[in-house]
Amino acid sequence: MLELSGVEVVYHSVVLVLKGISLNVPQGSIVALLGPNGAGKTTTLRALTGLLDIHEGRITKGQILWQGQNIASQKAESIVASGIAQVMEGRRIFPELSVEENLFAGASGRPKKDALSDMEKFYARFAILGQRRKQMAGYLSGGEQQMLAIARALMAKPKLLLLDEPSLGLAPKIVAQVGELIQEVNKEGVSILLVEQNASLALDLASYAYVMESGKIVLDGSSQELKDDKDVQEFYLGVGTKQSSYRDVKLYRRRKRWLS
Amino acid sequence: MQEFLQYLISGLALGALYALVALGFVVIYRASQVFNFAHGELLTFGAVLMVWLNSPPQVGELGLGSVSVDGLGLPWGVALFLSMLVTGAVAAAIERFALRPLVGRPIFVAIIITLFIGFILRTFVMLIWGNDAMPILTPWDSMGSFELAGAMLDYNSLAAIAAAAVLFVSFGLMIRFTRLGILMRAISSDQETSLALGIPVGRILGLTWFIAGAFAAVSGIFLGVRDYSVDLNLGFVALRAFPAVIVGGLDSALGAVIAALILGVLEVLTAGYVNAELGAFGKNFHMVLPYVVMIFFLVFKPYGLFGTKKVERL
Repeated sequence: MLELSGVEVVYHSVVLVLKGISLNVPQGSIVALLGPNGAGKTTTLRALTGLLDIHEGRITKGQILWQGQNIASQKAESIVASGIAQVMEGRRIFPELSVEENLFAGASGRPKKDALSDMEKFYARFAILGQRRKQMAGYLSGGEQQMLAIARALMAKPKLLLLDEPSLGLAPKIVAQVGELIQEVNKEGVSILLVEQNASLALDLASYAYVMESGKIVLDGSSQELKDDKDVQEFYLGVGTKQSSYRDVKLYRRRKRWLS
Repeated sequence: MQEFLQYLISGLALGALYALVALGFVVIYRASQVFNFAHGELLTFGAVLMVWLNSPPQVGELGLGSVSVDGLGLPWGVALFLSMLVTGAVAAAIERFALRPLVGRPIFVAIIITLFIGFILRTFVMLIWGNDAMPILTPWDSMGSFELAGAMLDYNSLAAIAAAAVLFVSFGLMIRFTRLGILMRAISSDQETSLALGIPVGRILGLTWFIAGAFAAVSGIFLGVRDYSVDLNLGFVALRAFPAVIVGGLDSALGAVIAALILGVLEVLTAGYVNAELGAFGKNFHMVLPYVVMIFFLVFKPYGLFGTKKVERL
């Protein structure tokens, strides 16, 4: 359904951030994109949703096929209209707008009536948002804000939802709730590309996963394969070996270089 | 007491016009963080356009010894509406063709560009309509007034207050309750997120500029009515509305309106009561006063009366 092939992205005409990314999100699946800070995960999402220009980035090579159409370098507006919605890192709700207005802002491309009836559905689902619909969104708790951000993205009726670090800065219990929500949304037929640093959460949710490091995909496989992979266990899941000495850190670096 | 009431109404009228000008600045600043230095020229453009549309063709000697205008002679209301429409369109065009290509560049660049667009607009107005003062007509008796509790209230002031009030209320309702208003607030809150949500940011910024341009036309027209004539320097009043923008808090529409009203009244009261007391120093002291207030605010309360109170979760 979504297919990236050999996508390269350059910032400010000189900084090559994505060095040929290829990945694939089949219809109805949850696919995870893992990787450390600065690997280019967020840039990948920006490339997908047409948000590169405002960061002075450009797609210089490769194709982004969405339902058979190349959407590389299209405008954000038309990409959202074609069915890709994004929840940005750090929630990014509009703090001075009420909950209701936040949701409404997510449905700018749709008729008012549909938007209002969808809003009621979300209030039924997230009781807390319903109770606080007239309140300023800035006063919601972190978890509630994340729910609001996801609901707001869903207001656009997407076929594919891109989630950038939905677990960031949330308590473990809330993280679990967000995880459940993601699964529910997926069951309703929305495909999901989940970008995470929290590898264990991502691998639990996703059926397939890609690991990115410094602008390249270095590993991919089904979640089970990756969970069993020694390197992933060591570097992302923190299983097994107790690192304590400097020598081990050096080993970590060496192994990472080898990986990429 | 009558004198005071008279000053008060006159001050409110002036304040209402400052408020309209200030609102034009604030609306654009909130949407795109640009301080639009071409706003004053938009006032001039709107007012001159109004005169041209409204003046009957080939009037003889008319007005206060000013030159006559060979206009289209459209009815006053139609001319007002057309002038708002065209000035709004010019403002939207500035956004579309001069500022939108600059997205991602430092805001500073955009601000300087507006300064130069202002000059271009000024030259344009001068080339077409000349730089003489032109009489501006009103459907009411522009010298007329009526008596209330002993004070003489002139129609011009009342009309300015009424026009400003209508625009403020409709703008307030629009921004609060309509879909466009919600999207405008969303964009001024976080432009990148708005893009990511598929909000047509460019189109809505254009509309915002359009609204600001229409406001500019109305404020220019009523400023002209206040002086009975319109000339190229009308736009400099925009700079006199500047203190209102700062005192109100650069990004607060309500703040700008309240501050403008206060400063307008203060200015007229100063002119009436204080100037005479200051001797030679008092000549036009009222013109300086708003800036004194502005400097006071910049020093002691830089966010103004109603500048953004950031909502943050603790």
